[in-house]
Amino acid sequence: MARIGVFICHCGENISATVDVMKVAAEAAKIPGVAHSVEYKYMCSDPGQQLVKNAIREKGLTGVVVAACSPRMHEPTFRRACAEAGLNPFLCEMANIREHCSWVHEKGDATTDKAIDIVRTLVAKVKKNKALQPIKVPVTKVAMVIGGGIAGIQASLDIANAGHQVILVEKEPSIGGHMSQLSETFPTLDCSQCILTPRMVEVAQHLNITLFSYAELESLDGFIGNFKARIRKKARSLDEKLCTGCGLCTQKCPSRRIPSEFDAGLGLRPAIYVPFPQAVPNKPVIDREHCTYYRTGKCRLCEKVCPTQAIRFDQQDEIVEADVGAVVLATGFDIKHGDFFPEYGYGKYRDVIDGLQFERLASASGPTLGEIRRPSDGRVPETVVFVACAGSRDPAKGIEYCSKICCMYTAKHAMLYKHKVHHGKPYVFYMDIRAGGKMYEEFVRRAMEEDGVQYVRGRVSRIFERGGKLVVKGVDTLLAARPLEIEADLVVLATAGIAQPGAEELAQKLHVSYDAHKFYAEAHPKLRPVETNTAGIFLAGACQAPKDIPESVAQASGAAAKVAALFSQSELVREPLIAVVDRQAPPVYSSCVGCFLCQSACPYQAIEKEEIRGRDGQLLKTVAKVNPGLCQGCGTCVAFCRTKSIDIQGFSHEQVHAEVLALLNRGERDA
Amino acid sequence: MPDFEPKIVAFVCNWCTYAGADLTGTSRMKYSPQVAIIRFPCTGRIDFMLLLKAFASGADGIIVSGCHPNDCHYSSGNFHARRRWIVFRGLLDFLGIDVRRVQFSWVSAAEGAKWAQLVNETAEHIRGLGPFTGYQRLRGLGVE
Amino acid sequence: MSALQEKARELLASAAVQVVIGYGRGSGGAARAVFIREATKAGDLVFDGTCLQNLAVYLMKPEVRKLGKAALVVRPATLRTILQLAAENQIAENSLLALVPSAEEIVLLATFAAIEAHVAALDSDLSTAEKAELQRFTALGLDERRRFWEEQFSRCLKCYACRAACPLCYCTRCTVECNQPQWIPVPAHDLGNLEWNVMRAMHLAGRCVNCGDCSRACPVGIPLYLLNQKLVSDVFTGFNSRSGISARSDNALSTFKPNDPEDFIR
Repeated sequence: MARIGVFICHCGENISATVDVMKVAAEAAKIPGVAHSVEYKYMCSDPGQQLVKNAIREKGLTGVVVAACSPRMHEPTFRRACAEAGLNPFLCEMANIREHCSWVHEKGDATTDKAIDIVRTLVAKVKKNKALQPIKVPVTKVAMVIGGGIAGIQASLDIANAGHQVILVEKEPSIGGHMSQLSETFPTLDCSQCILTPRMVEVAQHLNITLFSYAELESLDGFIGNFKARIRKKARSLDEKLCTGCGLCTQKCPSRRIPSEFDAGLGLRPAIYVPFPQAVPNKPVIDREHCTYYRTGKCRLCEKVCPTQAIRFDQQDEIVEADVGAVVLATGFDIKHGDFFPEYGYGKYRDVIDGLQFERLASASGPTLGEIRRPSDGRVPETVVFVACAGSRDPAKGIEYCSKICCMYTAKHAMLYKHKVHHGKPYVFYMDIRAGGKMYEEFVRRAMEEDGVQYVRGRVSRIFERGGKLVVKGVDTLLAARPLEIEADLVVLATAGIAQPGAEELAQKLHVSYDAHKFYAEAHPKLRPVETNTAGIFLAGACQAPKDIPESVAQASGAAAKVAALFSQSELVREPLIAVVDRQAPPVYSSCVGCFLCQSACPYQAIEKEEIRGRDGQLLKTVAKVNPGLCQGCGTCVAFCRTKSIDIQGFSHEQVHAEVLALLNRGERDA
Repeated sequence: MPDFEPKIVAFVCNWCTYAGADLTGTSRMKYSPQVAIIRFPCTGRIDFMLLLKAFASGADGIIVSGCHPNDCHYSSGNFHARRRWIVFRGLLDFLGIDVRRVQFSWVSAAEGAKWAQLVNETAEHIRGLGPFTGYQRLRGLGVE
Repeated sequence: MSALQEKARELLASAAVQVVIGYGRGSGGAARAVFIREATKAGDLVFDGTCLQNLAVYLMKPEVRKLGKAALVVRPATLRTILQLAAENQIAENSLLALVPSAEEIVLLATFAAIEAHVAALDSDLSTAEKAELQRFTALGLDERRRFWEEQFSRCLKCYACRAACPLCYCTRCTVECNQPQWIPVPAHDLGNLEWNVMRAMHLAGRCVNCGDCSRACPVGIPLYLLNQKLVSDVFTGFNSRSGISARSDNALSTFKPNDPEDFIR
């Protein structure tokens, strides 16, 4: 038999001014199963809590209802008090007679009656409450960071510096990402490599970081604190331990006319190569597609010149397995290429280039050693047109969003050009200038006012070649919408920032959600910007949406802080308010029939298949099982399950059913 | 039925509407006392069977409310709920059960005023429809 | 020997299957399900316009499963049931053969992909007559609809023949049998009857393939098909989703689109 204690709070006069608390206490005492019913001025005060604790001990209460304020206010307080008195905290419920009653209704019988109804409802619920134990999940204190751009580097260093092991997985031969390709960075114009490469070296030397470069995630299983990662180390075709990075092989390689990915196709590289001189690790990789030996079976020159005999032509990809407790996704972005802009002649005219290509032209380590020379004939361009929003904010092209970084880098490009070619004439076509950020607006102003960059508000309709010049046809919408034609020597398109190719495939491996543009989805757009909906997997940088370096770094540190918080305990303790699939005695085992239609209803991929086997290993039944590490307790599966095989602790079928009946049946059906 | 005061049950999610109704309280906005709230973690948790149980137990009206689309604490529970209500509502209507007695709504944690207005208008509306004797009769209570 | 009988004989003789589930003649000449386990009995099989039952219902019975691999004589709705059961992880690939009787020859479908292809060529939409009836019913006034169903459900005996006939009502414990809490009152009174039928319809939403066996099974002739067709129609018009056309599909009610209609939500 239930022995429920009801504790009615006056909340000073906040409740008692409109609710007759004496009557509520008297009526509550009449509810079957209520063994104790009292009112008190301030139930949350120390003496008030003491009332609850004493009653639990003295009256042997099996459940507690505190009729007071919102559970969002004091539920933890009273649950703690119950626990201190030896009652399982989940046997305590709050009846909200303040926010939902005394504060919103006038003084009178109706208000008091409603308070009684609320109390009766919660008494009915608490009778069906069960003692619950917190869920403990062990945590493997190793983080895996996927992507070695600035976001991944920052996250790795922060987690490693917090004293935890990090596995950094980078698909390219070197870490560094897009930031390593940049010349200078806005708004300070400090050299990108100069601020980045020390961080890269730090990653390489950090005792807590294991770097897998030229590697990709093969699969990820498990759940928060307990993931199992399989990483494919692609064959570099050399023994990394033996290689000293002397560079002899790359100098001697006879296949030297391969477009360099690092130089965005503007420079050339050999078939055995290091992407750029400051690469980490500074070990070459053989590009088997272009290597003469792999193509013809002859050459092996690199092998001959290698002083440490490190070349391994027969090397295979290797799969490495790792147990990790958390994952940071920092796979970055790409920019729109190809025939997306037929009207701009991108891909057709060599002197119509994209922003990354301009970065390489402006970079001191680039193919022109930092001189702005156009790709077609190497001449210094006298007039350069920069086109912002090339693809972005263009619903007709399917990219509605703003790529966010282009306004700033276009201003930077125009400025760098002007600094290098003093007599040059830079124009910028733009839709709006979005320069929100510390020192950003000032930076754009400087480009306009000090460096004389001509900003034209309007869109470019077409670019075509005429007499060795690129004719840019556009419109200046600010000066009486006059059509404009500029004869340019070089055109730089700020093409839209897009998700990495393969972003979708990776998301599916990790079971994280993504948006229509394949950018990874944060768990909450405002309040959980670095988490994904999959517990234990976090986001950093432009894989979530286009963002600049400071933002990427900030988010990376945020993700690292989340990981460090997760790793601060050896066990993850969670409230047990989660879904559970029933288990019954043989031969039923569970009322679940294993239709698994609930799987797609779960926002957290928490529903797994469990095979129930007999002693001889024979498969008896396959039923659903909720992973307690992943379930967040929304209960969507519970309401969906036809057989009522899934229930949710704290809001169980019996609890909510009892509430509905009690609320509407004054004096009836109380058992 | 001049004295008829409807019984209204509100099924709300913990994160948006429950908190919104708390805000109504902290803002001291007044509304009709005819509604009582039952708290759920998410609208996704609200079983259509409970709505039937509420009517069977004498509710004259029902409010179901949760987070606005894209604001769900669990990201998509409200979207699942919305589909469930689309189908359930259509079925009730088909069976001749007056769906005007079930008010679906999104009330965020910031919409204390919307909650008060929703309750008042729903109460007024249900008052106009009268007691749900058509349904209550089914359980043989002889309300008519 | 008909082509169907010949095919059944051949499958049993070669041990390609252990049982052929088809139609035979029962008492009074009515079509009834037969379970042919010997090649010599293949002659008992018939197929004509009276053979309406959705035989997929037997695929879910443990005692039938124990017989071994089955060949099933199918109607279009049976094929869709097989796909829906597959989508619900109830039957495995290669666990059965579907025999599609036709005038010329028997089409044998051995894989889900083959069944999917066969179903894709059929019209899985409600028929024009079915749509017209739904339309007519929906056009009635609210009170007329209520009175109609009250009268219909007042005759319900809670015998659960609808459930027994339904190949998708395969749950081992139906919610109607839950008593903690008691979701549906046990006696057959008006309220319990309504709740039972609403619940069954909701549980079939996005799953029912409109085979019509529930209505045919109902001893008091409640037009249950109307409820199911209403939901088939709503699920298709609302979510562009149709059950039983793929062996790998999510349920309409456990998925969503961010832009699902919400004109009824304020």
